[in-house]
Amino acid sequence: MGCFYSKKSKRKSREKDGATPTATDETNAVPLGNNIDEAPKQYSWDKREKVDPKDYMLTGLKDVTVGRLPGKLNGQQFVIQECVNCNIYVFDHSATITIDDCVNCRLVLGPVKGSVFFRDCKDIKCVVACQQFRTRDCTKMDVFLCCATQPIIESSTGMKFGCFQYFYPELAFHFKDAGLSIFNNNWSNIHDFTPLSGENNWGLLPEDSLVLDFVPTPDPESEFKSVRISAEPSRSIVPLTKGGRRKDSEESCLFVFFAGEYATANARKLIDEATAKGFVLIQTKEVSMRPEDVKRVFQNSADDLVEWVAKGPVIALELNGDGVIEACKNIASEVFSGTKVFVSNDKNTSSQDVDSFFNFADMQMGL
Amino acid sequence: MGEAQKGLLSVIEKLKGSSEQEVRIVLLGLDNAGKTTLLKSLASEDVNTITPTQGFNIKSVASHGMKLNVWDIGGQRKIRPFWRKYLENTDLLIYVIDSADKKRFEETGLELSELIDEENLKGVPVLIFANKQDLATASPASEIAEGLNLHTYRDRQWQIQACSAVSGEGVQDGMNWICNNIVNKKK
Repeated sequence: MGCFYSKKSKRKSREKDGATPTATDETNAVPLGNNIDEAPKQYSWDKREKVDPKDYMLTGLKDVTVGRLPGKLNGQQFVIQECVNCNIYVFDHSATITIDDCVNCRLVLGPVKGSVFFRDCKDIKCVVACQQFRTRDCTKMDVFLCCATQPIIESSTGMKFGCFQYFYPELAFHFKDAGLSIFNNNWSNIHDFTPLSGENNWGLLPEDSLVLDFVPTPDPESEFKSVRISAEPSRSIVPLTKGGRRKDSEESCLFVFFAGEYATANARKLIDEATAKGFVLIQTKEVSMRPEDVKRVFQNSADDLVEWVAKGPVIALELNGDGVIEACKNIASEVFSGTKVFVSNDKNTSSQDVDSFFNFADMQMGL
Repeated sequence: MGEAQKGLLSVIEKLKGSSEQEVRIVLLGLDNAGKTTLLKSLASEDVNTITPTQGFNIKSVASHGMKLNVWDIGGQRKIRPFWRKYLENTDLLIYVIDSADKKRFEETGLELSELIDEENLKGVPVLIFANKQDLATASPASEIAEGLNLHTYRDRQWQIQACSAVSGEGVQDGMNWICNNIVNKKK
């Protein structure tokens, strides 16, 4: 029902006026099309209170500590450009952030609902959480990353990546506000649009890299002194994952929490228990499953799990280390006896459990 | 009669009964413009987690013997030379612009003007979505239209439509324009 105008009526009105009608913007006579008759509509962005774009931009700063405190950006867009030797802290969630022509800067970018896009930047060290991570024409960047989708780089070189590792009190809420799951982090598998033969434009940071060696805490004289930051691995809002780094052991275990109010807290508890015993967290995913997905992924164990997926997304973890399966089973019975979980049964099936689940999860991320 | 069809379905409903069998729409624009978000919005799918496009995405809807194909092609600078390979038999071009990325207005203007000169797009109607109007630094559609010199297009139907693909606002208005213009194409 959305198309009102026939070719006939357009011809008629053209003949009447003697000119091609155009719909114009009310404030100036710029035509928005060359064959429409109706006046332009008013949208929410026309009606809302006008903001000054400059309030959302940092431009041309040098040698300073600058950014936004929690609650000061509140989901808006942020633009950073032409900054040199600055420490930039965005301690809030935002819609999207572009960073252009910056040199020798250190940045913390709180959870971004959309994309983070670095262009023409050099010598950057940053901590970033976002849905999409993009670079173009950048050189020498060290990025501690939490990214919901596959990060991409283009015409960039000297790019190094590590797992997001950061805490400040409001950060968990900022992740929620930005619609980002702390369990969906593709930090280690980068797609390069301009790969070189024989060389790599990107690599992984050394596993024992400490965030504060790259991006220091803010100057205690600055406005950010009130933000209680920690970069300690155990306090990180995003669980540390080994990602694409080489695994130490051949034995992995899939552990899945089915929805419930405490799924996130339970997953964190499992990570604490398992890492305390010396096991390693490889990857995590939080994803919704339909009944047909359950059957495909869990096969023989599927029957009693199907009803649980309707309650909400599942949280899956891959843990690695000799004896990890036995340890996970013990943890499940001792710590999570009242909770619906799936745990790999033995070494013969656990690799397949892991592959089945994470392949399924990867497919969900695509179109 | 039920609620109006939205997105791709509204276009295919309009095409019902015309002489067209298969209609091809190509969705282009710089990387990060919001093309894939727009495509998913048109297909009434979830837009919360979208990956940067590495090759292309395609959505097809079919109804009453008609088929509508929408091709969403990756926009990184490195892969723009491949755009030309997707243009043959295109019935309509949708060009998406990030209205809040002022740094790249010149770049997107250049790419659009090169597309308009393509032989395969001669006379093909073009809908420009001035996307991301929800963002704080977004320029209004009229400003973008001026910057792109759209008024100089003489040989085809064109329209610029302000929208926010992530919320869907303005998207259906663009599709309504497509309904009117896609059957007007010269071939």
